[in-house]
Amino acid sequence: MRFRLRFVIGTALVVGAIVYLITTAIRNTSEYYLTVDEVAARQAQLVGQPLRVAGRVKSGTIAWDPATLTLKFGIVPIPDPNVDPAVKPVSTAEPAAYAVTCIGEPKPDMFANGRDVIVEGKLDATGHIAATQVLTSCPSKYKPAQAK
Amino acid sequence: MPDLGRLALAIALLLAFYSIGANVFGARRRRPEFIASARHALWAMCAMVTIAVVALWTGLLSSDFSLEYVASYSSTTLPTVYKFTALWGGQQGSLLLWTWLLSIFTSVAAYQHRRRNPEIAPYAMAVLAGVAIFFLGMLNFVTRPFDLLPVIPAQGTDLNPLLQNYWMAIHPPSLYTGYVSATVPFAFGAAALMTGKLDDSWIRSTRRWAIFSWFFLTLGNLFGARWAYEVLGWGGYWAWDPVENAAFMPWLVMTAYLHSVMIQERKDMLKVWNLALIGLAFSLTIFGTFITRSGVISSVHSFTQSGLGPYFLSFLVLIVAAYTGLLIFRARELRSPAEFESYLSREAAFLFNNLMLIGIAFAVFWGTIFPVLSEAVRGVKITVGPPFFNSVAGPLALGLIFLMGVGPLIAWRRTTASNLVKSFTAPAITGVATGVVALAAGLRTWYVLTAFSLAAFVLGTVVVEFRRGVGARRHMLAEPAPRALVNLVAKNNRRYGGYIIHIGVIVAFVGIVGSSFFKTEVKKSVREGQSFTVGAYQLRYLGLSESDTAHMESATARIEVSRNGRVVTEMAPAKLFYKREQQPATKVAIRSTPFADLYIVLAGLDENGNQATFEVFLTPLVFWLWAGGLLMAIGTVVVMWPNVRERAAIAAAVRRAAPVAITGEPAPGGD
Repeated sequence: MRFRLRFVIGTALVVGAIVYLITTAIRNTSEYYLTVDEVAARQAQLVGQPLRVAGRVKSGTIAWDPATLTLKFGIVPIPDPNVDPAVKPVSTAEPAAYAVTCIGEPKPDMFANGRDVIVEGKLDATGHIAATQVLTSCPSKYKPAQAK
Repeated sequence: MPDLGRLALAIALLLAFYSIGANVFGARRRRPEFIASARHALWAMCAMVTIAVVALWTGLLSSDFSLEYVASYSSTTLPTVYKFTALWGGQQGSLLLWTWLLSIFTSVAAYQHRRRNPEIAPYAMAVLAGVAIFFLGMLNFVTRPFDLLPVIPAQGTDLNPLLQNYWMAIHPPSLYTGYVSATVPFAFGAAALMTGKLDDSWIRSTRRWAIFSWFFLTLGNLFGARWAYEVLGWGGYWAWDPVENAAFMPWLVMTAYLHSVMIQERKDMLKVWNLALIGLAFSLTIFGTFITRSGVISSVHSFTQSGLGPYFLSFLVLIVAAYTGLLIFRARELRSPAEFESYLSREAAFLFNNLMLIGIAFAVFWGTIFPVLSEAVRGVKITVGPPFFNSVAGPLALGLIFLMGVGPLIAWRRTTASNLVKSFTAPAITGVATGVVALAAGLRTWYVLTAFSLAAFVLGTVVVEFRRGVGARRHMLAEPAPRALVNLVAKNNRRYGGYIIHIGVIVAFVGIVGSSFFKTEVKKSVREGQSFTVGAYQLRYLGLSESDTAHMESATARIEVSRNGRVVTEMAPAKLFYKREQQPATKVAIRSTPFADLYIVLAGLDENGNQATFEVFLTPLVFWLWAGGLLMAIGTVVVMWPNVRERAAIAAAVRRAAPVAITGEPAPGGD
């Protein structure tokens, strides 16, 4: 019986160590994951923080220089798929948009006008995102395609 | 054909319902003819699902674009082999494949248990049929593979180019096989809980299924990693993406399960733990499907939402609630008389190995769902990336590797000091020596030093085990060493096959550590004829060649690779452009050696093709990850290999059970 108690203590120590590992790792590695609209809503407090921003590449804004591996583009909110695009929004305010620059990474294959992307990087005070990585959505097509 | 497929799926659903009723009725009233009838219904269900699969394949191969599925995932220009694999290229087909595998495995299990284990087998079959009902219900009512298009298109949209790849042809079936076969041990565990027959007969009945499942989960994960490495062109093989995590968690839990059942078989301990583990493993396979299909957690794999989430979540909640309820209901009967006696015992080593594995699985789970949790609790989505997973799994992996060396050499119950010294002196010296050599060679990262030392330590312990066994045979039976080694493995295939798996894990671990810590990456934009340096290699861009077919265009760069002024090889990374989808893709060039992989991506071309941008990775030791995976597979085959002695034991058990076909006491509290 005495050993049983010692065993429970040992097990608890291991479990405690694992929990400690997880909590410290969460604290050290977490990043905000936001949509473009959410960034716009709390821009001031996000400056300088590591961010992941989900948005859509604004058509006609892509500038890619393969010699210097510099990719520049604008990112806008992803429209709500439940809203019929034919219906004009009530608000006429210009949607939020950010300029993104990513230097030193090759342009992803799937990167194109109107594609959904995740930008990893930091926001500076002027509303410009310096990206370390741009991820494109992989269209796994795990959705019923719309009949055309 | 589509009508036939639809009809077959509808009949399969009815058969599954019937089989539950007949199984439960037959078991409760002890009417063997009903149980036999239920078994036949399951076989008929399997035949029906097979017909549906053949019908969909027929549609794909004949490019029948009246089927929405075929129009969405195939085209007339798609190579035939990918028309075949397009069966699992989309959601409906994937679920159909899943259901097909489930019905096959159910049929095989029903055949195996037509006389074996008559008390719990009917209930296990009922659980399997219940799982089949969920999937058949989805295929019949929610996401139907045989839906027709109102207007028949002239051409299909084609299979996603990223899936038009050898690894993608074999990765999903492997993973699904691993996922789905975990259902069999789960069903027997649940049946043991339902009937109250809580000895280890459910484990013995399904031991091979559990190993089979683990085998394919291992292969599925490795194939997925290999696919990511060869196709995605980012130089890595594992990104801790939610979809990858979904496949990794069941593997971890199954690994824990395979170890802890040994303690129950030997010591009659950890009954609750084992039942909980198999329940968890099965729930995680459903959870994995849920997160990949629901869009709740954004993954690089799929942003698209499919509306299946609520169904899978409901099913998951139902399973977890019912199973937990059963566990609580049986808690008193599951108490074990035996207890742990010492930290220096094999059962203690196994217990801590289980804690580490489940710890890693929990961390992976937590990291995967953290964005959802943080949004629910704090109103803002916070993600944790690969650094989180690495910083938790890394240290725990070291603990696991250490226990992997200790476990097999330490005695059951308790170990004496002299025993410890005798067993561990040589491996410990090997480990320390490796660390010293690595230090002298200039390695300064503590993790790498520890990892390599521990790896050498574990290999040392395995060598000790093999030497002991061979020595004993030579001594007792006067066999020459090579034959003693062969016989040793053949006669104790579970044990020594397990050690081969351990060697594979160590080899793969060394590959993972080496490739994670010592990768070099160079990005360079060059003109034709220009050279650049990556590590010890000189790369010269020779020029571009282009080709054009109905299916795709491609631009292939030729690169001459030399080392110390001598030309080693020529490599050809390419850019592809799939015409139907208007989608570019990358074809990576890899030169693999045991020391390092040279990995070249053609990252960009300027308009006239004079200037090309390359991304080059020099990744040491990654070769050993795949080699270790192969060893793990070989070891698992050795473990699963039918053993003469075991067969005799099963035959004897069947003979004992045969005259009393259905004598089970189905009322709760039996045994």
